[in-house]
Amino acid sequence: MTTTPPAPPPPDGYGAPPAPLPPPGPGRRRAGASPWLAAALILTLVLAGYLWVTTTQWQRTAQEWEGEARDHAAEAAALGRQLDGVNAELAAARDQLATATGRISELANEKAQLGDENVASRQHLDYQARVSEAAAKVAVALGQCVDAQEQLIGYLEDADAYDAADLTRFKNQVGELCDKAGDANDALQQELAS
Amino acid sequence: MRRGGRLAALAALVALAGSGCGVLPALPEPVPNEIVPSRVSDLEPAEGSETISPDGFDAVQRMAVRVRNVGCDELSTGSGFAVDEYTLITNKHVVADSDNLQVSTYDGRDIDVGTAATAALADLAIVRTRDALPSYPVLAETDPRQGDDVTIVGYPSGGELTISAGRVIGSTRDPLNANLGEVLVTDAKVEPGSSGSAALDDQGRVIGVVYAKTADDDSLLVPISTVRDLLADATAFENVATCEAS
Repeated sequence: MTTTPPAPPPPDGYGAPPAPLPPPGPGRRRAGASPWLAAALILTLVLAGYLWVTTTQWQRTAQEWEGEARDHAAEAAALGRQLDGVNAELAAARDQLATATGRISELANEKAQLGDENVASRQHLDYQARVSEAAAKVAVALGQCVDAQEQLIGYLEDADAYDAADLTRFKNQVGELCDKAGDANDALQQELAS
Repeated sequence: MRRGGRLAALAALVALAGSGCGVLPALPEPVPNEIVPSRVSDLEPAEGSETISPDGFDAVQRMAVRVRNVGCDELSTGSGFAVDEYTLITNKHVVADSDNLQVSTYDGRDIDVGTAATAALADLAIVRTRDALPSYPVLAETDPRQGDDVTIVGYPSGGELTISAGRVIGSTRDPLNANLGEVLVTDAKVEPGSSGSAALDDQGRVIGVVYAKTADDDSLLVPISTVRDLLADATAFENVATCEAS
Protein backbone atom coordinates (compact mmCIF):
# COMPACT_ATOMS: atom_id res chain seq x y z
CA MET A 1 0.00 0.00 0.00
CA THR A 2 1.20 3.32 -0.92
CA THR A 3 0.38 6.67 0.66
CA THR A 4 0.33 9.94 -1.09
CA PRO A 5 2.12 12.80 0.49
CA PRO A 6 -0.02 15.66 1.48
CA ALA A 7 -0.30 18.36 -1.02
CA PRO A 8 1.58 21.54 -0.24
CA PRO A 9 -0.58 24.41 0.71
CA PRO A 10 -1.39 26.67 -2.13
CA PRO A 11 0.34 30.02 -2.22
CA ASP A 12 -1.50 33.03 -0.86
CA GLY A 13 -3.78 34.64 -3.31
CA TYR A 14 -4.30 31.62 -5.26
CA GLY A 15 -7.37 29.55 -4.98
CA ALA A 16 -8.15 29.71 -1.30
CA PRO A 17 -9.93 32.68 0.14
CA PRO A 18 -7.75 35.04 2.21
CA ALA A 19 -7.72 34.35 5.83
CA PRO A 20 -8.82 37.25 8.10
CA LEU A 21 -6.08 39.33 9.68
CA PRO A 22 -5.41 38.60 13.27
CA PRO A 23 -6.55 41.37 15.64
CA PRO A 24 -3.82 43.89 16.62
CA GLY A 25 -2.01 42.73 19.66
CA PRO A 26 -0.95 44.78 22.74
CA GLY A 27 2.48 45.41 21.35
CA ARG A 28 1.17 47.32 18.40
CA ARG A 29 -1.04 49.52 20.60
CA ARG A 30 1.96 50.30 22.80
CA ALA A 31 3.97 51.21 19.78
CA GLY A 32 1.23 53.57 18.58
CA ALA A 33 0.80 55.37 21.94
CA SER A 34 4.46 55.86 22.69
CA PRO A 35 4.88 59.09 20.66
CA TRP A 36 1.97 60.57 22.51
CA LEU A 37 3.30 59.56 25.81
CA ALA A 38 6.67 60.98 24.86
CA ALA A 39 5.07 64.21 23.79
CA ALA A 40 3.03 64.38 26.96
CA LEU A 41 6.11 63.63 29.00
CA ILE A 42 8.06 66.35 27.26
CA LEU A 43 5.19 68.73 27.67
CA THR A 44 4.94 67.83 31.33
CA LEU A 45 8.63 68.28 31.82
CA VAL A 46 8.54 71.63 30.04
CA LEU A 47 5.58 72.65 32.12
CA ALA A 48 7.24 71.52 35.31
CA GLY A 49 10.41 73.36 34.38
CA TYR A 50 8.49 76.49 33.60
CA LEU A 51 6.62 76.28 36.87
CA TRP A 52 9.84 75.73 38.76
CA VAL A 53 11.47 78.74 37.11
CA THR A 54 8.38 80.80 37.70
CA THR A 55 8.19 79.77 41.32
CA THR A 56 11.79 80.58 42.01
CA GLN A 57 11.46 83.88 40.20
CA TRP A 58 8.37 84.79 42.22
CA GLN A 59 10.08 83.73 45.41
CA ARG A 60 13.09 85.90 44.61
CA THR A 61 10.88 88.82 43.62
CA ALA A 62 8.75 88.39 46.70
CA GLN A 63 11.85 88.48 48.87
CA GLU A 64 13.05 91.62 47.13
CA TRP A 65 9.66 93.26 47.55
CA GLU A 66 9.58 92.24 51.17
CA GLY A 67 13.01 93.79 51.59
CA GLU A 68 11.82 96.94 49.90
CA ALA A 69 8.69 96.97 52.04
CA ARG A 70 10.76 96.60 55.21
CA ASP A 71 13.09 99.39 54.08
CA HIS A 72 10.16 101.66 53.34
CA ALA A 73 8.44 100.71 56.56
CA ALA A 74 11.60 101.62 58.44
CA GLU A 75 11.84 104.83 56.46
CA ALA A 76 8.18 105.62 57.12
CA ALA A 77 8.68 104.96 60.81
CA ALA A 78 11.71 107.26 60.83
CA LEU A 79 9.77 109.92 58.92
CA GLY A 80 6.89 109.51 61.34
CA ARG A 81 9.25 110.15 64.25
CA GLN A 82 10.72 113.13 62.40
CA LEU A 83 7.21 114.40 61.70
CA ASP A 84 6.33 114.13 65.38
CA GLY A 85 9.45 116.08 66.20
CA VAL A 86 8.77 118.68 63.55
CA ASN A 87 5.16 119.01 64.70
CA ALA A 88 6.38 119.54 68.24
CA GLU A 89 8.81 122.18 66.98
CA LEU A 90 6.01 123.74 64.94
CA ALA A 91 3.77 123.90 67.97
CA ALA A 92 6.60 125.47 69.96
CA ALA A 93 7.27 127.91 67.12
CA ARG A 94 3.58 128.82 67.01
CA ASP A 95 3.62 129.45 70.73
CA GLN A 96 6.73 131.57 70.35
CA LEU A 97 5.13 133.42 67.45
CA ALA A 98 2.01 134.08 69.50
CA THR A 99 4.16 135.32 72.36
CA ALA A 100 6.20 137.47 69.99
CA THR A 101 3.16 138.98 68.30
CA GLY A 102 1.59 139.61 71.68
CA ARG A 103 4.76 141.31 72.82
CA ILE A 104 4.90 143.35 69.62
CA SER A 105 1.33 144.49 70.23
CA GLU A 106 2.22 145.41 73.81
CA LEU A 107 5.28 147.34 72.69
CA ALA A 108 3.28 149.08 69.99
CA ASN A 109 0.72 150.06 72.59
CA GLU A 110 3.39 151.22 75.03
CA LYS A 111 4.98 153.29 72.29
CA ALA A 112 1.60 154.80 71.42
CA GLN A 113 0.87 155.61 75.05
CA LEU A 114 4.30 157.17 75.49
CA GLY A 115 3.69 159.17 72.34
CA ASP A 116 0.36 160.32 73.71
CA GLU A 117 1.96 161.27 77.03
CA ASN A 118 4.74 163.06 75.22
CA VAL A 119 2.29 165.06 73.15
CA ALA A 120 0.13 165.74 76.19
CA SER A 121 3.18 166.85 78.17
CA ARG A 122 4.29 169.11 75.36
CA GLN A 123 0.83 170.60 75.12
CA HIS A 124 0.80 171.06 78.88
CA LEU A 125 4.18 172.75 78.77
CA ASP A 126 2.98 174.98 75.98
CA TYR A 127 -0.05 175.79 78.07
CA GLN A 128 2.07 176.48 81.12
CA ALA A 129 4.33 178.69 79.05
CA ARG A 130 1.34 180.61 77.74
CA VAL A 131 -0.08 180.93 81.25
CA SER A 132 3.28 182.05 82.60
CA GLU A 133 3.60 184.57 79.82
CA ALA A 134 0.10 185.83 80.50
CA ALA A 135 0.80 185.96 84.25
CA ALA A 136 3.92 187.96 83.59
CA LYS A 137 1.95 190.39 81.46
CA VAL A 138 -0.74 190.63 84.14
CA ALA A 139 1.92 191.23 86.77
CA VAL A 140 3.50 193.95 84.66
CA ALA A 141 0.10 195.51 84.07
CA LEU A 142 -0.77 195.39 87.77
CA GLY A 143 2.66 196.83 88.57
CA GLN A 144 2.08 199.63 86.12
CA CYS A 145 -1.32 200.16 87.72
CA VAL A 146 0.24 200.38 91.17
CA ASP A 147 2.97 202.72 89.96
CA ALA A 148 0.43 204.92 88.27
CA GLN A 149 -1.78 204.97 91.33
CA GLU A 150 1.20 205.89 93.52
CA GLN A 151 2.07 208.61 91.06
CA LEU A 152 -1.54 209.81 91.12
CA ILE A 153 -1.52 209.82 94.92
CA GLY A 154 1.61 211.95 94.85
CA TYR A 155 -0.01 214.34 92.45
CA LEU A 156 -3.15 214.53 94.56
CA GLU A 157 -1.12 215.26 97.71
CA ASP A 158 0.12 218.36 95.98
CA ALA A 159 -2.94 219.00 93.88
CA ASP A 160 -2.63 222.77 93.94
CA ALA A 161 0.59 222.50 92.02
CA TYR A 162 -1.13 220.83 89.04
CA ASP A 163 -3.89 221.73 86.65
CA ALA A 164 -7.15 220.16 87.79
CA ALA A 165 -8.07 219.05 84.27
CA ASP A 166 -4.71 217.33 83.84
CA LEU A 167 -5.15 215.59 87.15
CA THR A 168 -8.59 214.39 86.14
CA ARG A 169 -7.31 213.13 82.78
CA PHE A 170 -4.42 211.36 84.46
CA LYS A 171 -6.76 209.89 87.03
CA ASN A 172 -8.94 208.52 84.22
CA GLN A 173 -5.93 207.08 82.41
CA VAL A 174 -4.79 205.39 85.60
CA GLY A 175 -8.28 204.04 86.08
CA GLU A 176 -8.35 202.58 82.56
CA LEU A 177 -4.93 201.09 83.03
CA CYS A 178 -5.93 199.49 86.30
CA ASP A 179 -9.21 198.27 84.85
CA LYS A 180 -7.37 196.54 82.02
CA ALA A 181 -4.89 195.06 84.45
CA GLY A 182 -7.76 193.88 86.61
CA ASP A 183 -9.55 192.36 83.62
CA ALA A 184 -6.38 190.57 82.57
CA ASN A 185 -5.93 189.29 86.08
CA ASP A 186 -9.52 188.08 86.23
CA ALA A 187 -9.08 186.27 82.91
CA LEU A 188 -5.90 184.69 84.16
CA GLN A 189 -7.55 183.57 87.38
CA GLN A 190 -10.43 182.10 85.41
CA GLU A 191 -8.03 180.23 83.13
CA LEU A 192 -6.12 178.89 86.10
CA ALA A 193 -9.33 177.85 87.80
CA SER A 194 -10.63 175.96 84.75
CA MET B 1 -9.13 57.37 9.58
CA ARG B 2 -6.24 56.77 11.92
CA ARG B 3 -4.26 59.63 10.42
CA GLY B 4 -7.23 61.91 10.87
CA GLY B 5 -7.53 60.85 14.49
CA ARG B 6 -3.90 61.57 15.09
CA LEU B 7 -4.20 65.02 13.61
CA ALA B 8 -7.22 65.71 15.78
CA ALA B 9 -5.37 64.53 18.87
CA LEU B 10 -2.36 66.67 17.96
CA ALA B 11 -4.58 69.67 17.46
CA ALA B 12 -6.24 68.99 20.78
CA LEU B 13 -2.84 68.73 22.45
CA VAL B 14 -1.65 71.99 20.90
CA ALA B 15 -4.90 73.66 21.90
CA LEU B 16 -4.55 72.31 25.39
CA ALA B 17 -0.99 73.54 25.59
CA GLY B 18 -2.03 76.90 24.23
CA SER B 19 -4.88 77.30 26.65
CA GLY B 20 -2.65 76.06 29.45
CA CYS B 21 -0.18 78.88 28.78
CA GLY B 22 -2.94 81.34 29.50
CA VAL B 23 -3.55 79.72 32.85
CA LEU B 24 0.08 79.43 33.80
CA PRO B 25 1.47 82.27 35.95
CA ALA B 26 3.67 84.74 34.16
CA LEU B 27 7.18 85.48 35.24
CA PRO B 28 7.32 88.36 37.72
CA GLU B 29 8.45 91.82 36.70
CA PRO B 30 11.84 92.72 38.10
CA VAL B 31 11.77 94.80 41.23
CA PRO B 32 12.46 98.43 40.21
CA ASN B 33 15.54 100.11 41.59
CA GLU B 34 13.54 103.16 42.67
CA ILE B 35 9.98 102.90 43.87
CA VAL B 36 7.93 106.03 43.39
CA PRO B 37 4.28 106.47 44.31
CA SER B 38 1.97 106.21 41.38
CA ARG B 39 -0.12 109.13 42.75
CA VAL B 40 0.92 111.83 45.13
CA SER B 41 -1.95 112.88 47.32
CA ASP B 42 -2.72 116.58 47.38
CA LEU B 43 -1.14 118.14 50.40
CA GLU B 44 -3.25 120.69 52.22
CA PRO B 45 -1.82 123.61 54.17
CA ALA B 46 -1.67 123.28 57.91
CA GLU B 47 -4.69 124.36 59.87
CA GLY B 48 -4.69 128.07 60.57
CA SER B 49 -1.88 128.84 58.14
CA GLU B 50 -4.12 130.66 55.68
CA THR B 51 -4.51 133.63 58.00
CA ILE B 52 -0.88 133.88 59.00
CA SER B 53 1.20 136.60 57.43
CA PRO B 54 4.98 136.63 57.32
CA ASP B 55 5.14 138.40 60.68
CA GLY B 56 2.46 136.38 62.45
CA PHE B 57 -0.28 139.01 62.34
CA ASP B 58 -3.37 138.38 60.29
CA ALA B 59 -4.76 140.68 57.61
CA VAL B 60 -7.43 142.07 59.92
CA GLN B 61 -4.80 143.35 62.33
CA ARG B 62 -2.45 144.56 59.62
CA MET B 63 -4.99 146.84 57.98
CA ALA B 64 -5.93 148.70 61.17
CA VAL B 65 -4.20 151.95 62.07
CA ARG B 66 -4.20 154.15 65.15
CA VAL B 67 -4.78 157.84 64.54
CA ARG B 68 -3.44 160.45 66.96
CA ASN B 69 -4.93 163.88 66.45
CA VAL B 70 -2.61 166.44 67.95
CA GLY B 71 -4.86 169.45 68.19
CA CYS B 72 -3.77 172.93 69.04
CA ASP B 73 -5.07 172.64 72.57
CA GLU B 74 -5.85 168.99 73.13
CA LEU B 75 -5.04 165.46 72.12
CA SER B 76 -7.43 162.77 70.88
CA THR B 77 -7.09 159.32 69.37
CA GLY B 78 -9.11 157.32 66.91
CA SER B 79 -8.91 154.36 64.59
CA GLY B 80 -8.81 153.86 60.87
CA PHE B 81 -8.14 151.29 58.21
CA ALA B 82 -6.39 151.19 54.87
CA VAL B 83 -8.36 151.03 51.65
CA ASP B 84 -5.32 151.00 49.42
CA GLU B 85 -1.56 151.22 49.78
CA TYR B 86 -1.52 154.96 50.52
CA THR B 87 -5.07 155.76 51.64
CA LEU B 88 -6.89 155.14 54.87
CA ILE B 89 -10.40 155.87 56.04
CA THR B 90 -11.42 157.20 59.42
CA ASN B 91 -14.06 159.51 60.83
CA LYS B 92 -14.39 163.21 60.20
CA HIS B 93 -14.50 163.92 63.91
CA VAL B 94 -11.26 161.96 64.39
CA VAL B 95 -9.28 164.35 62.19
CA ALA B 96 -11.16 167.54 63.06
CA ASP B 97 -9.40 170.52 64.70
CA SER B 98 -6.04 168.98 64.01
CA ASP B 99 -2.66 170.60 64.01
CA ASN B 100 -0.89 167.36 63.28
CA LEU B 101 -2.13 163.86 62.45
CA GLN B 102 0.01 160.90 63.47
CA VAL B 103 -0.74 157.39 62.23
CA SER B 104 0.80 154.17 63.52
CA THR B 105 0.33 150.56 62.53
CA TYR B 106 -0.39 147.36 64.44
CA ASP B 107 3.34 146.84 65.08
CA GLY B 108 4.02 150.38 66.23
CA ARG B 109 5.47 151.72 63.01
CA ASP B 110 4.79 155.39 62.38
CA ILE B 111 3.28 156.23 59.01
CA ASP B 112 4.09 159.60 57.48
CA VAL B 113 0.82 161.40 56.81
CA GLY B 114 0.25 163.57 53.77
CA THR B 115 -3.17 165.18 53.57
CA ALA B 116 -6.55 164.65 55.15
CA ALA B 117 -9.95 165.35 53.66
CA THR B 118 -13.41 165.09 55.16
CA ALA B 119 -16.81 164.37 53.67
CA ALA B 120 -19.62 166.86 54.05
CA LEU B 121 -22.44 164.33 54.08
CA ALA B 122 -21.05 161.68 56.39
CA ASP B 123 -18.75 161.28 59.35
CA LEU B 124 -15.97 160.07 57.11
CA ALA B 125 -12.46 161.25 56.31
CA ILE B 126 -9.75 160.15 53.94
CA VAL B 127 -6.12 160.38 54.95
CA ARG B 128 -3.41 160.09 52.33
CA THR B 129 -0.09 158.73 53.51
CA ARG B 130 3.42 159.05 52.13
CA ASP B 131 4.49 155.69 53.56
CA ALA B 132 2.92 152.49 52.31
CA LEU B 133 0.30 150.89 54.53
CA PRO B 134 0.86 147.22 55.41
CA SER B 135 -2.42 145.73 54.20
CA TYR B 136 -5.85 146.73 53.04
CA PRO B 137 -9.14 144.80 52.91
CA VAL B 138 -11.80 144.37 50.28
CA LEU B 139 -14.87 146.56 50.49
CA ALA B 140 -18.14 144.63 50.45
CA GLU B 141 -20.43 145.22 47.50
CA THR B 142 -23.61 145.59 49.54
CA ASP B 143 -24.69 146.52 53.03
CA PRO B 144 -25.10 143.67 55.52
CA ARG B 145 -28.48 142.33 56.54
CA GLN B 146 -29.94 142.13 59.99
CA GLY B 147 -28.43 139.25 61.92
CA ASP B 148 -25.19 139.14 59.94
CA ASP B 149 -21.99 138.66 61.91
CA VAL B 150 -19.77 141.68 62.29
CA THR B 151 -16.20 142.06 63.52
CA ILE B 152 -14.81 145.42 64.55
CA VAL B 153 -11.08 146.00 64.70
CA GLY B 154 -9.67 149.17 66.18
CA TYR B 155 -8.07 150.92 69.13
CA PRO B 156 -10.78 151.49 71.76
CA SER B 157 -9.80 154.15 74.29
CA GLY B 158 -6.53 154.59 72.42
CA GLY B 159 -5.29 151.29 73.86
CA GLU B 160 -4.22 148.04 72.30
CA LEU B 161 -5.48 146.83 68.96
CA THR B 162 -8.71 145.03 69.79
CA ILE B 163 -11.10 142.84 67.84
CA SER B 164 -14.71 142.70 68.99
CA ALA B 165 -17.52 140.66 67.50
CA GLY B 166 -21.26 141.09 67.28
CA ARG B 167 -24.23 141.08 64.96
CA VAL B 168 -26.04 143.63 62.88
CA ILE B 169 -29.15 144.63 64.79
CA GLY B 170 -30.67 146.81 62.12
CA SER B 171 -30.54 150.31 60.69
CA THR B 172 -31.77 153.68 61.87
CA ARG B 173 -31.69 157.36 61.14
CA ASP B 174 -28.47 158.90 62.37
CA PRO B 175 -29.21 160.18 65.89
CA LEU B 176 -26.21 162.51 65.66
CA ASN B 177 -27.27 163.92 62.29
CA ALA B 178 -23.72 163.46 61.12
CA ASN B 179 -24.64 161.24 58.20
CA LEU B 180 -27.08 161.51 55.37
CA GLY B 181 -29.38 158.52 55.18
CA GLU B 182 -29.59 155.45 57.35
CA VAL B 183 -26.80 154.05 59.50
CA LEU B 184 -26.26 150.54 60.76
CA VAL B 185 -26.64 149.45 64.38
CA THR B 186 -24.65 146.51 65.76
CA ASP B 187 -24.22 145.03 69.22
CA ALA B 188 -20.42 144.86 68.88
CA LYS B 189 -18.85 146.81 71.73
CA VAL B 190 -16.93 149.97 70.95
CA GLU B 191 -15.39 152.72 73.04
CA PRO B 192 -14.21 156.25 72.42
CA GLY B 193 -11.15 155.76 70.25
CA SER B 194 -12.90 153.08 68.22
CA SER B 195 -14.20 155.76 65.88
CA GLY B 196 -13.00 155.03 62.37
CA SER B 197 -12.67 151.30 62.99
CA ALA B 198 -13.50 148.96 60.15
CA ALA B 199 -16.50 146.70 60.58
CA LEU B 200 -15.98 143.44 58.72
CA ASP B 201 -18.28 140.63 57.66
CA ASP B 202 -17.46 136.95 58.14
CA GLN B 203 -15.43 136.99 54.93
CA GLY B 204 -13.22 139.85 56.08
CA ARG B 205 -14.85 142.44 53.82
CA VAL B 206 -15.56 145.92 55.08
CA ILE B 207 -19.27 146.50 55.62
CA GLY B 208 -19.12 149.77 57.51
CA VAL B 209 -17.14 152.30 59.51
CA VAL B 210 -17.73 152.79 63.24
CA TYR B 211 -18.48 156.39 64.14
CA ALA B 212 -20.43 156.39 67.41
CA LYS B 213 -22.05 154.34 70.15
CA THR B 214 -25.52 154.59 71.56
CA ALA B 215 -26.64 154.91 75.16
CA ASP B 216 -27.41 151.18 75.02
CA ASP B 217 -23.76 150.42 74.21
CA ASP B 218 -24.60 149.51 70.66
CA SER B 219 -22.32 150.71 67.91
CA LEU B 220 -23.29 152.84 64.94
CA LEU B 221 -21.73 152.33 61.53
CA VAL B 222 -21.58 154.33 58.37
CA PRO B 223 -22.75 151.65 55.90
CA ILE B 224 -20.42 150.54 53.15
CA SER B 225 -22.86 151.75 50.49
CA THR B 226 -22.37 155.30 51.75
CA VAL B 227 -18.62 154.80 51.88
CA ARG B 228 -18.61 153.52 48.31
CA ASP B 229 -20.78 156.38 47.07
CA LEU B 230 -18.53 158.98 48.64
CA LEU B 231 -15.33 157.32 47.49
CA ALA B 232 -16.69 157.31 43.96
CA ASP B 233 -17.41 161.03 44.13
CA ALA B 234 -14.19 163.02 43.82
CA THR B 235 -15.91 166.17 45.06
CA ALA B 236 -17.31 164.57 48.19
CA PHE B 237 -14.19 165.23 50.24
CA GLU B 238 -12.57 168.55 51.07
CA ASN B 239 -9.16 169.05 52.59
CA VAL B 240 -9.11 169.61 56.32
CA ALA B 241 -7.95 173.02 57.54
CA THR B 242 -5.47 172.83 60.38
CA CYS B 243 -6.36 174.49 63.64
CA GLU B 244 -4.78 177.70 64.85
CA ALA B 245 -3.34 177.86 68.31
CA SER B 246 -5.30 180.11 70.63
